[in-house]
Amino acid sequence: MAQLTLVQALNQALRHELREDPRTLVFGEDVGRLGGVFRVTDGLQEEFGERRVFDTPLAESAIVGSAIGLALAGWRPVCEIQFDGFSYPALDQVITNLAKYRGRTRGRAALPVTIRIPSGGGIGGPEHHGESPETYYAHTAGLKVVAPSGPAEGYQLLRAAIRDPDPVIFLEPKSRYWTKEEVDAAAAGRLGQARIVREGTHATLIAWGAMTARCLQAAEAAAEDGVELEVVDCRSLVPLDVDTLSASVRKTGRAVVVHEAPLTAGFGAEISARLMETIFRDLKAPVLRVTGYDIPYPAAAVEAAYLPDLDRILTAVQKVLDY
Amino acid sequence: MTEFVFRLPDLAEGLEDAEIVEWRVKEGDRVELNQLLGEVQTSKAAVEIPSPRRGLVKTLHALPGDLVRVGEPLVTFEVEDSQPGVVGRVPQEAKPARRVHLRIRRD
Repeated sequence: MAQLTLVQALNQALRHELREDPRTLVFGEDVGRLGGVFRVTDGLQEEFGERRVFDTPLAESAIVGSAIGLALAGWRPVCEIQFDGFSYPALDQVITNLAKYRGRTRGRAALPVTIRIPSGGGIGGPEHHGESPETYYAHTAGLKVVAPSGPAEGYQLLRAAIRDPDPVIFLEPKSRYWTKEEVDAAAAGRLGQARIVREGTHATLIAWGAMTARCLQAAEAAAEDGVELEVVDCRSLVPLDVDTLSASVRKTGRAVVVHEAPLTAGFGAEISARLMETIFRDLKAPVLRVTGYDIPYPAAAVEAAYLPDLDRILTAVQKVLDY
Repeated sequence: MTEFVFRLPDLAEGLEDAEIVEWRVKEGDRVELNQLLGEVQTSKAAVEIPSPRRGLVKTLHALPGDLVRVGEPLVTFEVEDSQPGVVGRVPQEAKPARRVHLRIRRD
């Protein structure tokens, strides 16, 4: 198995899908000649040519609109929206057409479109380059929403997303792009399965994307104090693996959900509600959330104060332990 | 470390090849992004070639006087796996600081 960064793992996943299915197309702003602003599509145009890997104009709505048309014509489009904050101009196409086509045609026309979106903060980007848009997509029925936490997950989940018959929003954690990990190119991924990344007994930390690594760091810090935290990586928000989440929290009795997006109506609220609905009697404390603040994503100089850090996570853990 | 092959880009409309005039770097040199690698001569103009990457020059694929076709390898670099994107920086993976310590209440 090879040690790959998340960027390289995603590049491999795209390369393997392009090789195995001649209907697969990769397009977006700067993905062709440049190889992507984070180099995720590096070398793909060279290998597969300009008809299968190509640059588009700076027009996100047109990128998604074209993907819908290409999917209807039998292609399997994987398009890139360059940054989270630029995915909003495409929301009209995503919500009014992409998400609704299967239902609109009573199941006759599925749209196997994957939209890759480098997401989240932590890299000191300017405005529009640090947002966590998962809730907008999770709230749009008809879409799957996948958020890998590292290279191995990224590889497997991207391949599964591309092979999925329905539209998948694939949120890549920018701040984890350079993390290295062993990646098994033979392992198949499945959408809709959460993963226990660390076992523990006192409380469960629930996260996805970049916050999974932050929760693992918090669990290591807690272990120094004799507190064993379980960490669950959701991997996919829609469909959400409620069974794995509730089994973990039933065991520990306590849960803290951690995400970068603001608190209000963030996806942590959905997870908290699901836990309450399924294992209310097993909860020993209310489910707490550690999140970004209810403000627009801040300037790079202060983003560390916005993103959940160890102290905020551990403070919430102390609260659920003391309840 | 990863290898990155820099191929002769299409320098102007319709040109098919260029002649290497001189290299300003040699194999084994470390170069910065946009550092001048050398100069090539097309049928229209002399063009300076800036480095597309930061890294180590591993192989120069042609000598001064050689003709290189567009798309053929010009320079192979060894580059760090952690090259930042066009926007932002690579986050540092230092062990994060903590002040809060946990207590388990025993009752």
